[in-house]
Amino acid sequence: MEYTKEKKVGEGTYAVVYLGTKQSTGRSIAVKEIKSSAFKDGLDMSAIREVKYLQEIQHENVIELVDIFLASENLNLVLEFLPSDLEVIIKDKSILFTPADIKSWMLMTLRGVHHCHRNFILHRDLKPNNLLIAPDGQIKVADFGLARTVPSPHEILTSNVVTRWYRAPELLFGAKHYTSAIDVWSVGVIFAELMLRIPYLPGKSDIDQVEVTFRALGTPTDRDWPDVSSFPAYNKLQMYTPPSREELRRRFIAASENALDYLCGMLTMNPQKRWNTVQCLESEYFKEAPSPTEPSKIKIS
Amino acid sequence: MSTATSKELTPNAEAAEPNKPPNYKRLTDDDLFRHSSQYRFWSFTPEQLTQKRIQVNAQATSSVGESLRNFISENQANLAEEDIKSIEEKAVPVTMEEEIKLVSIYAKKLQGIAQHLNLPTEVVGTSITFFRRFYLENSVLQMHPKLIVLTTIFLACKSENYFIGIDSFSQKTKRPKDSILKYEFQLLESLRFSLLVHHPFKPLHGFFLDIQAVLHGKVDLKYMGQIYDKCKKTITEALLTDVVYFYTPPQITLAALLLEDEALTTRYLELKFHGNFQAASDSTNQESNEVISKSNLTINFDVLMNLITSCKQQIEKPTTVSVEEAIAIDAKVQFCSDPNKLLRKLKRRPTDSSLTQFPTDKRPKVSD
Repeated sequence: MEYTKEKKVGEGTYAVVYLGTKQSTGRSIAVKEIKSSAFKDGLDMSAIREVKYLQEIQHENVIELVDIFLASENLNLVLEFLPSDLEVIIKDKSILFTPADIKSWMLMTLRGVHHCHRNFILHRDLKPNNLLIAPDGQIKVADFGLARTVPSPHEILTSNVVTRWYRAPELLFGAKHYTSAIDVWSVGVIFAELMLRIPYLPGKSDIDQVEVTFRALGTPTDRDWPDVSSFPAYNKLQMYTPPSREELRRRFIAASENALDYLCGMLTMNPQKRWNTVQCLESEYFKEAPSPTEPSKIKIS
Repeated sequence: MSTATSKELTPNAEAAEPNKPPNYKRLTDDDLFRHSSQYRFWSFTPEQLTQKRIQVNAQATSSVGESLRNFISENQANLAEEDIKSIEEKAVPVTMEEEIKLVSIYAKKLQGIAQHLNLPTEVVGTSITFFRRFYLENSVLQMHPKLIVLTTIFLACKSENYFIGIDSFSQKTKRPKDSILKYEFQLLESLRFSLLVHHPFKPLHGFFLDIQAVLHGKVDLKYMGQIYDKCKKTITEALLTDVVYFYTPPQITLAALLLEDEALTTRYLELKFHGNFQAASDSTNQESNEVISKSNLTINFDVLMNLITSCKQQIEKPTTVSVEEAIAIDAKVQFCSDPNKLLRKLKRRPTDSSLTQFPTDKRPKVSD
């Protein structure tokens, strides 16, 4: 057997994850064993999506699919071993990180997400817990179980995607069509969370999420998002005014003006006006001081 | 709320194009395609493809030959001389050419079933693609095409996010669930775990829009709609041929367009390569007005025309097989995988218990 499974490190609804070693090279790896019995319709859809998209993406900031094998009626995905993730780091109050560290994580995350988008792949579940960290400090976008191809203009989609706190307003409205802009929104919420060290928009339920989101960022109107009022849920909304620049400055005390522009670009209500990954990557935020920390020099332990 | 200090949230529009580092290079669509599994695993030169098929066939032929020899030696006592002679004559492993023919017949059948299930064009395309790729890795002597057809459609549906539950799928196709599910892993493995298929359908939509932009005012929208629908059909036909292994999806699309309207397609490409797009200057679509910049050109007009013309000619000549030939090939495949079947057919078969079960035959014995 080329791969050993040494320690069980996690169990989800459709998979068990083990740490192991690639025998021929001694490389540490993670093996995601897909439970075949859990799914009566043959191969699980999440597993299919994960295999399908990871096969196409080779990028420094996307988790590497090392190999796939079948053993005792189970599908096993061999992934690179990634010891930590951004959620762990945000929660561990003993770890101090700097604005330059945050900028570095943002840059790596966006590079990974941009690579997905230019390959016409939407991730649809970006959150700190899915941004894994390699031993050399590189961020790796992981978990493609909800990913899909960028839809054609009239395709009907399910809006029931993305973990609640990171869900873009068009999804909260139950839009039947959306674009890669939903991933950018999630990155914006993650950026805010990195600065605040607490979740930025922690809705307690789907309904509460709408409330929390618009209270923080203002309820969108037809003026800045044409026809937003035609969403069925719109009439029930509480109308909040968007925060002033001064309010944002007070909320994100350490953020520069360029960092705030960058944040607002990603957290723009209207998905058509929201920044895309290229606009994000080319923003002044990444050009001004401080420079992003060299990934291997970020201290996370 | 202080309005005096609030600043516009939009990015600087006048920001100059930043200076690019000396080694700056933007990835092209070609670069991206070369990283796709379709290019890495499923693109070949005609020689490579033939070699691959020869290998698959040779391996299967030798293992079938061995099984047949074992069968004869194990059952020597019970087999008449004529039986042995019939086995040697009729249970002949199929040739590579015959394999291609059998696979193309079943690919056609699969297309019919998929369309009967009202699957979207892309899902039909993926089903055909999966099925044909499976037989670049396996011989019909190892897995009879009829066994894998439904599994292929079932997996293609899931892979294309067009989920049909097994209960419903089994009901619609009138086949037991297990017969569909049991080959799913083997299929996935033979597909080398690569599921994302780039079809020529998406480029068709792109060219459809671009032709209208480039030939603005010179093409009729209704006519273009007809061309579009015909091309969609032609592309599905093309997916049944080997052009999918030799050409990129947009090249196949152009070949299909060439097939439907040679003059229009040629004019469009001429303008694209040599035109100055004055005619289309009132169009609001900026991108289509760009003359392909010389530095971005990876191919010239004549090379492209030659390429898509030869692709077109191959699409026009699909593999055709007569019914008689199909039946003959199918019989050989069945006799090879189960010589008992041949003996039954000859009505000379001794009693059930006297012959050992042929290894690959898992069906219950039926006495004549």
